[in-house]
Amino acid sequence: MMTRIFTPYLLVAPLMIFIAVFTYIPIVMSLDLSFRQWNFLSPDMPFVGLRNYEQLIASSDFWNSLRVTALFTVLSVPLRLALAVFAASYLVRESAPSRILRGALFLPAVTSTVSIGVVFSWVFSTDYGMVNALLAHVGLAKVQWLQDPHLALWVLIFVNTWKQLGYDVVIYIAGLQAIPQDLYDAASIDGGKRLHVFRRVTFPLVMPTTYFLLVISVIEAFQVFTIVNVMTKGGPAGATDMLVNLLFEIGFVLFDIGRGSALAVLLFVLLVFLAFLKSRIIGRKVHYEA
Amino acid sequence: MTRKLQLALAAGVSCFLGTIGAADAATTVKFWHTFSKSQGEALNKIIAGFEKVNPDIDVEAEFVGDYNDVVAKLQAAIPARRAPDAAILEVTRYGLFANNNILTDLTPYFDADPLKADLYDYAREVGVINGKNFIVPFNSSTPVVYFNKDIFKRAGLSDDTPLKTFADISAAAKTISDKLGSEGVSGIAAPGQFARWGVVMANDSELVDPSSGEILLDKPNTIEAYQWMASLVSKDKVASPDGVTDEDKGRDAFLAKKVGIMMNSTGNYGGSKKALGDDLAVRPMPCNKTCSVPIGGAGIGILASSPKDVQDAAYKFISYAASPEANATWFAATGYLPINKMSADQPVAKEALATQPGIDVAIKSLPVAHGRARTTVVTWMRSTEYKMWEAMALGQRDVAEAMTDFAQQTRDEEKRAGN
Repeated sequence: MMTRIFTPYLLVAPLMIFIAVFTYIPIVMSLDLSFRQWNFLSPDMPFVGLRNYEQLIASSDFWNSLRVTALFTVLSVPLRLALAVFAASYLVRESAPSRILRGALFLPAVTSTVSIGVVFSWVFSTDYGMVNALLAHVGLAKVQWLQDPHLALWVLIFVNTWKQLGYDVVIYIAGLQAIPQDLYDAASIDGGKRLHVFRRVTFPLVMPTTYFLLVISVIEAFQVFTIVNVMTKGGPAGATDMLVNLLFEIGFVLFDIGRGSALAVLLFVLLVFLAFLKSRIIGRKVHYEA
Repeated sequence: MTRKLQLALAAGVSCFLGTIGAADAATTVKFWHTFSKSQGEALNKIIAGFEKVNPDIDVEAEFVGDYNDVVAKLQAAIPARRAPDAAILEVTRYGLFANNNILTDLTPYFDADPLKADLYDYAREVGVINGKNFIVPFNSSTPVVYFNKDIFKRAGLSDDTPLKTFADISAAAKTISDKLGSEGVSGIAAPGQFARWGVVMANDSELVDPSSGEILLDKPNTIEAYQWMASLVSKDKVASPDGVTDEDKGRDAFLAKKVGIMMNSTGNYGGSKKALGDDLAVRPMPCNKTCSVPIGGAGIGILASSPKDVQDAAYKFISYAASPEANATWFAATGYLPINKMSADQPVAKEALATQPGIDVAIKSLPVAHGRARTTVVTWMRSTEYKMWEAMALGQRDVAEAMTDFAQQTRDEEKRAGN
């Protein structure tokens, strides 16, 4: 009897311990550090109250990073989802070309982000890059892709979309395959055109997948770091300085781990708020069955 | 149990106990460094040489990235108690660790080491803060001017083209860009941070006064130096903006023979010689208002968290690395300055001096070479300088305004860090 009661807990215990050690405890420690002053090296960690939060909120760098991150999210997430659903609707058919293309699209998702960042920083290099070489070939002037503050963010959006698209497509394909075929047959009998069928049948029924991808894409967009650090380091002129890049800079370059932790806490609160907002605004409109 | 099985078991247990015994006898020194490719190979040779004469010490060397990466990784490793025993620390960045008691005071080791008398004055001085020695130099350098003789020739410039002032360098770079720009060749690589410091010193100024620690970022001569460097990119367009956002791109383009002139550390000599061969020429940094160059590079520090026996073993390695033989090998392979007065007499060094023209330019600059400030705020200043330089060089901020702002920010940070 006792074995039956305790066995389930024992079976989930390893995972719970893992999550506690690598997720919850660091969150609590980060919260504690956000109220202290520490440079990693000193044995002292004096309590400073809300000073780190006050300094962050008073800092123009923080508001710039928030603006850039929000802009990146607003521009990249709808683009990703739109491209993904469009590609998935063509690749949902089971055929050899379709399977090959799915594999090709998914390849960037499993490639090292650092490698992608290094390669694309050369591809978009002003004087030595492939893109400008192609532009020069057709008689156009060179573009300072990564040095122009108005363009650098778009380059990062392009690279991030290219990397993540395959994952979104695969998830959408699974969602599309779950839609009963007889609904399409009925629409076809009723004379529905392709776009009409997409709007009235496919899109509403793939809403759960869209909602899921929306949530994780927004979280991912707010946590983008590697391509920023590799390609632009937040420049030029702070045009690509996103929140996690600023967090890294404050904590690990400027040795102010207290302020870095405060930023991490603010980012966490922001993401929770956004998830709640999405749930209230969009979650209620999601259709879960045909 | 059969006899064969008994013998096999006994042999296995003996081997196992033997390995445990051997592992206990060797003291392991975990050493983080910043040298890859040809420099990494040269370091491995030095380590192999050290282990040969010290079979009871095992140096586990690990390449961890550049100077910034070492600092970032130490920050994570130290609180996690995963720090190495010894690490390469750049000469202006080690102050942060020394002032927080992370590094062992090497003064007792150094004072007792006969090697001390054999080191150049600059090598003895560069590791000292408040009278205590925290690092022993390993790879010391000054910036020099490299140029590609073939590119000069194609642009109609002779090998003797003067490069002694900012105007000289601008003129040569402009000629290269005008004549060879259509071939994708630019005049000069955007100067990296070490070279920028050298340009400021060549204009008779400094970023931070090495004696008093006074912030000099907003002094007229400093601003003038930055105005000249920024003009190479944004106004004269003789330097690629790619080298502004990523210094390695400027160097890589020079090695790929796409850039005529590069101001960079003498430590790049080995790699540059490999890439350009006989087309490589080396000149001293310009003397625009004065002849003065910064001493750069790094030294090896020992972390205070290591056990005493490991610290002793680590110092033995440091002392070996600074010995004439090892230092001469390092100099010949990389172009970094010799730190030991007797290194130049070693056969490998003599051969390098005889057969590698330009490798001695940095040595000849030593009379005008000066150590730089290493107060705690210098680490912050150097990290922030990258963003400031980017904004100025890409024409996004006025140089005078940006440097004045930068100076104020640095003073504020110095006060904050002091509190």
